[in-house]
Amino acid sequence: MSTPLILLPGDEVPKDQLPHSKSNNPLKVGPGLRLLSQPSAKPTSSNHVLTATQAGILTTDAKRNNVSILSFSNRRYIPAMNDLVIAQVHHSSVDFFHCIVTPHTAHALLGQLSPQLKQGDLVYARVLSVGVGAGAEVEITCVHPATGKAEPGGMGPLNGGMMFDISTGMATRLLRASSSSADENEGVDGLVVLSELGKKLESIGGFELAVGRNGKVWVDCSNAGENEVKATIAIGQCLQGTDEHNLNPTDQKKLVTRTLKAMKL
Amino acid sequence: MSREAPLSVAERDFILKALQENTRLDGREADQFRPLSISFGEEYGHVKLQLGKTSIIVRISAEVTKPRDDRPFDGLFDISIELTAMGSPGWENGRTSDQEASVSHVLDRVVRHSNALDTESLCIVKGVSCWSIRADIHVIDYDGNLTDAACIAVMTGLQHFRRPDAVVRDGHVIVYKVEDRVPVALNITHKPLSVTFNSFNDGRDIIVDATLKEEQAAEGELVIGINSGGEVCFMSKFSGAPLDPLSIVSKVNVALEKVKALNAQVDKVLQVDLAKRAKLGMADESRAANDR
Repeated sequence: MSTPLILLPGDEVPKDQLPHSKSNNPLKVGPGLRLLSQPSAKPTSSNHVLTATQAGILTTDAKRNNVSILSFSNRRYIPAMNDLVIAQVHHSSVDFFHCIVTPHTAHALLGQLSPQLKQGDLVYARVLSVGVGAGAEVEITCVHPATGKAEPGGMGPLNGGMMFDISTGMATRLLRASSSSADENEGVDGLVVLSELGKKLESIGGFELAVGRNGKVWVDCSNAGENEVKATIAIGQCLQGTDEHNLNPTDQKKLVTRTLKAMKL
Repeated sequence: MSREAPLSVAERDFILKALQENTRLDGREADQFRPLSISFGEEYGHVKLQLGKTSIIVRISAEVTKPRDDRPFDGLFDISIELTAMGSPGWENGRTSDQEASVSHVLDRVVRHSNALDTESLCIVKGVSCWSIRADIHVIDYDGNLTDAACIAVMTGLQHFRRPDAVVRDGHVIVYKVEDRVPVALNITHKPLSVTFNSFNDGRDIIVDATLKEEQAAEGELVIGINSGGEVCFMSKFSGAPLDPLSIVSKVNVALEKVKALNAQVDKVLQVDLAKRAKLGMADESRAANDR
């Protein structure tokens, strides 16, 4: 693995860092980056200039042909297109459920296509559009906008379980860790806490996890029987501990062992 | 818009279920406080307190004023708390919330009305001049149990504060600068603290030092103000589900234990800080001697 490239706002993304894909898929530009000059008359890809709008580490995914910035941990989540979020239903109107994505800020709208929900329910959803300008409504959905079918990846209401707060940076790391293969985790992010927990808790029935980019993580251990509560709390503590103290892989493993021991699991 | 985000159904159910199994989200015991850390600023009476993620700064100040006409022998003592948007986005600037009113009521009762600070000792000249002591509470971050954290911070501040020395000579009040004369500690008669209990599951589970999420899931609140000697100076059960009288009695004992432990911790940090200051003061003096 090459050394990470740190970009500051205004920095150009070097051409050789962009993924070279042989397929015809267009390059996907993630949040924190901006395409500044359009390609001129001669349509060669070399005319693209990507500049960073946020400080962070440049990350590329050659398989999916996308490029994005892994930014620092914001205390406040700003919705971006296609982000996975855990929203909480606040109230419903004729056409929409009004949901809370980040506390105290504007509500997001969830189309009524989705299943029946009541106030206080949690929904795992994707950000469909963010609107323009301050105070614009954010739209989220848990069905595919074209087909109207439920999206893969566990979109929809989250029943039972418990939601924990983590930093937005940690949420991004967890999502990246889950999208790359297990042995890559250590190299990419140094995040082994989830795979370690998975190994240790497999015997009692494993657990389900949903990570929202808005700094929420939902944990469900309903398979664990009488250990359900303890296992859920242990997972929450491990994630929050890793997040708060910025632990390295060795310490993450130690934390998992220590927490599970304290919980007698 | 500016309100604390409500708790989701899943979170509430889980917190209640976990409490039934005697487990709390952060792995604490039911009657265990979060880690408390107290530090002091450069000046006397400037306290920074952190209780878990709840963070508070208290500043004690003193000025000479005229006493109230009906209490010519008494000095003045005020506690002011304002919940601004700095502490939590759910609070609005310049608007008094119910929470602000209840916290300041508890502080008023526990610290002020229990005469923790002997206001008579603040009198300089009867009916003419006295000290006015003021405690300003600033909430920097909020994660539940504001009342207890504010109470500990104010009491620590009062014990840490030193007011300038003042003497009456020929009918004139002379206030000496802190540099000129050793400032005077306030006269603290006793050290009451509040301990807030939250009840869950029809009063079966009662915990101390609830986090914000636990507070939101709670069905009732019981505040006990008690000093290290075991004298209860305040008790409130304003709202929420009823509690068994016996459990209130047993919680008073828990509160006493907690207050003793907290006061011991406060005493320790005060001593460490005062020892540090004494050392620095000595260094200052020796430097002054060298100048001459």
